[in-house]
Amino acid sequence: MNTTASDSMTSPATHGGVQVRSSSEIGEPRIEIRGLDFYYGAHKALKQINLKFPDKQVTGMIGPSGCGKSTLLRILNRMYDLYPGQRAEGQVLMDGQNIIDPKVDLNSLRARIGMVFQKPTPFPMSIYDNIAFGVKLHEKLSKAAMDERVEWSLTRAALWGEVKDRLNSSAMGMSGGQQQRLCIARTIAVRPEVILLDEPTSALDPISTLKVEELIDELKHDFTIAIVTHNMQQAARCADQVAFFYLGEMVEVGPAEQIFTAPKEKRTEEYVTGRFG
Amino acid sequence: MSDEPEHLVKSYDTELKRLRGMMTAMGGIVESQVALAAQAILHRDGAAATKAVELDPQVDAMEREIEQFVVRLLALRQPMAADLRFIIASMKMTGDLERIGDYAANVSKRSIVLSQFHLPFSLAGIAHMLQLVQEQLKSIIDAVGAGDIDKAVEVWRSDQVVDDIYNAIFRELITYMMEDPRNITPCTHLLFIAKNLERVGDHTTNIAETVYYAVRGEVLAETRPKGDTSAYAVVRPSE
Repeated sequence: MNTTASDSMTSPATHGGVQVRSSSEIGEPRIEIRGLDFYYGAHKALKQINLKFPDKQVTGMIGPSGCGKSTLLRILNRMYDLYPGQRAEGQVLMDGQNIIDPKVDLNSLRARIGMVFQKPTPFPMSIYDNIAFGVKLHEKLSKAAMDERVEWSLTRAALWGEVKDRLNSSAMGMSGGQQQRLCIARTIAVRPEVILLDEPTSALDPISTLKVEELIDELKHDFTIAIVTHNMQQAARCADQVAFFYLGEMVEVGPAEQIFTAPKEKRTEEYVTGRFG
Repeated sequence: MSDEPEHLVKSYDTELKRLRGMMTAMGGIVESQVALAAQAILHRDGAAATKAVELDPQVDAMEREIEQFVVRLLALRQPMAADLRFIIASMKMTGDLERIGDYAANVSKRSIVLSQFHLPFSLAGIAHMLQLVQEQLKSIIDAVGAGDIDKAVEVWRSDQVVDDIYNAIFRELITYMMEDPRNITPCTHLLFIAKNLERVGDHTTNIAETVYYAVRGEVLAETRPKGDTSAYAVVRPSE
């Protein structure tokens, strides 16, 4: 690789002189998974996963239901800590630190690695407070600084224009697409380094889906993003790198262009062409 | 390809099979156009020439039909990987086949003019070229139908021989024209015929490259050896 991730941000890849949305240049890793196994009790759900998440690029994770892709996403911010009997073995390295080590503080880890879920999950409070809530857990900000942070987050989530005049209204009154973008705003408000998106548009209409995809494209300038999606076209549109999972194994990882035009593995080929059986 | 498992959506399989069938059917018509052109030149068969020309609108219609079908598949199926490559390849190959059909029709038209002349020399070179081009075309259409890259690579390599014969014919015809100006008209038509057949070989090679890409997902990287440059030579009569 002769360009760093930041280089590829300032000078995106071009094909035939036309700027393309996702880059086939995969940058330096922000998170590196080494030899990761995961167990739901006695069931081994992930087997010897080795995967790098390039800095400030989008990694898409695809595969049939139950293949382990959501499990992997949830390991990255230790969601499994809540459930007894679930355990991860191996390494998930971020800045040289194994973040699945129980000694790593969970709250500070989740401030660094934010997550957005399949269904929008706004808190039953005002739009403003939805954003401020998480920030208050990690930082003490003045009213003016908090106002600024709320505006920044909503602007980055492409929502400011739609809600700036009703920040004190309940978030529960927003449309599904707006609620999901609010959840993304809430996630980026604590200024994480990594954003995990677990099927973020599967409950949204096509226009809201495209708005979220456009947002992902914007956010990758500042954040490293991992997205789990069942929608292959979405992975093709959003991701720079795509990993295909099957039965707890990572079958293949490569630039999105390669995975969707000429995958190397037969199982990937069969899955992306809809021949799985 | 036949060894691949079927799509979960059966109608998609049916559509891809239909596209492959349309490609081989179009290939078959173009193949018969070239065969008729050969018959027209070598046996001074005006009826064969007319038939080759009459097949052209059918080939054009098939090209349009394949293009429309490809657009439909792209829009409705959003194909990926090998399916995407085959569908895109079909779009390219149908263009190559249509051009081959045009060249066959052009050769046939010239054969009608040519039949009005007495030729004081043999057409062995053109006959050899026609035979090779027809063999290549048959092989490549079989390769399209079966997704056979070994056959495609074989065709791709064999185009060199066609180029060599073309260069030899070029030199030979210039000699005849220099010997007797009455040969100029038939020899000029024969030059165009040889050039058209050489172009048929080139389009066949394009199809071979496309088949390779469709099946392997890689571009044929090897550089094909180029023949001599005598077709660009300046030939001056001695003073």
